Amino acid sequence: MSSRRGVAGPIARRGLGRTLTYGASAALLVVTLFPVLWLVQVSFKTDVEAMRVPPSVLFVPTLDNYAAVFQGKFARSFVNSLIVSVSTTLTSMLLGVPAAYALSRASFGRSRGLALWVLTTRMAPPIAFGIPFFLAYRWLGLIDTVFGLLVIYLTFNLSLVMWMMRTFFDGIPRSLEEAAAIDGAGPLQAFARVTLPLSGPGLATTAIFCFVFAWNDFFYALVLTRSRTLMAPVAIVNFMNYEGWEWGRIGAAATLIMLPVVVFALAVRRYLIRGLTAGALKG
Amino acid sequence: MRRRERVFVVLLSPALLVLAVVTLAPFAFLLLTSLTPLNLARPATWWDLSRPLANFAELPEDGRFLNSLGVQLRLSFFTVLAQLLLGLGAALLLNRDSRVLEAVRALFIIPMVLPPIVVAIVWKVLFTPDISVLNWSLGVVGLPQPAWLADARLALPAIIVADVWEWFPFTLLMLLAALQMMPAEPLEAARIDGAGPWQVFRHVVLPLLRPAIVVTVLFRLIESVKAFPLIFIMTGGGPGTVTEATNYYAFLQGFNYSLIGFSAAISMVVLAGTFLVSYVIVRWVGAQVDVE
Repeated sequence: MSSRRGVAGPIARRGLGRTLTYGASAALLVVTLFPVLWLVQVSFKTDVEAMRVPPSVLFVPTLDNYAAVFQGKFARSFVNSLIVSVSTTLTSMLLGVPAAYALSRASFGRSRGLALWVLTTRMAPPIAFGIPFFLAYRWLGLIDTVFGLLVIYLTFNLSLVMWMMRTFFDGIPRSLEEAAAIDGAGPLQAFARVTLPLSGPGLATTAIFCFVFAWNDFFYALVLTRSRTLMAPVAIVNFMNYEGWEWGRIGAAATLIMLPVVVFALAVRRYLIRGLTAGALKG
Repeated sequence: MRRRERVFVVLLSPALLVLAVVTLAPFAFLLLTSLTPLNLARPATWWDLSRPLANFAELPEDGRFLNSLGVQLRLSFFTVLAQLLLGLGAALLLNRDSRVLEAVRALFIIPMVLPPIVVAIVWKVLFTPDISVLNWSLGVVGLPQPAWLADARLALPAIIVADVWEWFPFTLLMLLAALQMMPAEPLEAARIDGAGPWQVFRHVVLPLLRPAIVVTVLFRLIESVKAFPLIFIMTGGGPGTVTEATNYYAFLQGFNYSLIGFSAAISMVVLAGTFLVSYVIVRWVGAQVDVE
């Protein structure tokens, strides 16, 4: 009865238990990661090699697919995705961070109505925003523009910034600002000189979430853009022709798209729950 | 102090104003559109409010819409159930103090952070007989090798498998967080009283986990409506309409057939469901749960 962790005790007990736990965890991990790794290895195969039966595990890797992907329209779409994701992140942060600070420090009462609003917009099915934005953009000439996508991504990213940064600001003691106020700093100065510099990790985490959510979007990019502002997730679909799928290129493009996301996500994994539940839970 | 409050209002207003413009205005527009027979091919149908409830009256008559609700219901039920069981099992497994498991946990999040389009492609590759390593393995052990996505009985289960894979890391993370917050005393007390592992789990751990389980299920339930890229890439709603979930049906009506008014009405129904579950989370559940 020496287990330190309360819940682990009944499931696994000391030596044998640990071996079983590690074994089962390893098995589960392999099963979980296998599908992604399989796609990645397809990206290093020629289409002939990819269709070989039985599937070849040992093969001479080729970078042809990556070269082909970079020469085509996909490279342009990758840049488009970067531009849109970065600009929507900056806009959301610029508007949302000061608002989050105000929500954290002012006494606006229990803002449950606001919480419901934020959560509903965050969780709304994309089609619900897709239709009105599509109609409005046709009228305003914003279909297939960077600005159009930037604005529709605000529907989820702005509220995300407000909610996430609010919890980060809640964690920074007010006494520091009060000390600054005694030294004659106004509320804005206290925010800019004291609180903001202490919020580095929170700002970075929140910005990463904004970037990833914009980067991962497929639906809005599909409905609101054509060829000029082609986004990377939609560009992949172009490798699925009537003549057949170009598996190698699809694999290469998919690998390139997931790379930044996986790196970023591992960096902010401690805050994943907070980001994915739009701050409805403290996480 | 008055000056302080005024500063706060200045900091808050731009964001709230923009948020209102990008969320409330489209919502009003969607509602209005759902009351018209808007068809992009027929300009006269803009702002035609002569029969405002016609779309909604048509919904219960539309067999394809009813079918889409059934598909959505099955999709949501089985994905959320499987994610809960798998996530809970994995959380119990990984809940130990150990450097190795700590590192392993981080890798489990990968499926849920991948761009959904990539998840769809990953599973399209695994379920397409020509290049499927899955089918090849089945062949090796002498089992039939079905054309998963072209088979009316297997297409929806295939999508369910992909969705479960994509999102069980979420239930895993949520429940693992709850397990780590759990006080040790009740567990030790139960063990001292002679309870076996299963009894401890059933009568102590599970009741303590209940709030976290409820909130996790609610979140997954809302999100289960968004399986759009999976359906779009893997089956396109087919074969026939067997994987045509409500969200996807609304997309087809609006953006393939240009029946925007009708599509808006379907979206309103889906949105109402989202709002209801969000309300439950904010009003009752969220406040009780503290996951860190």
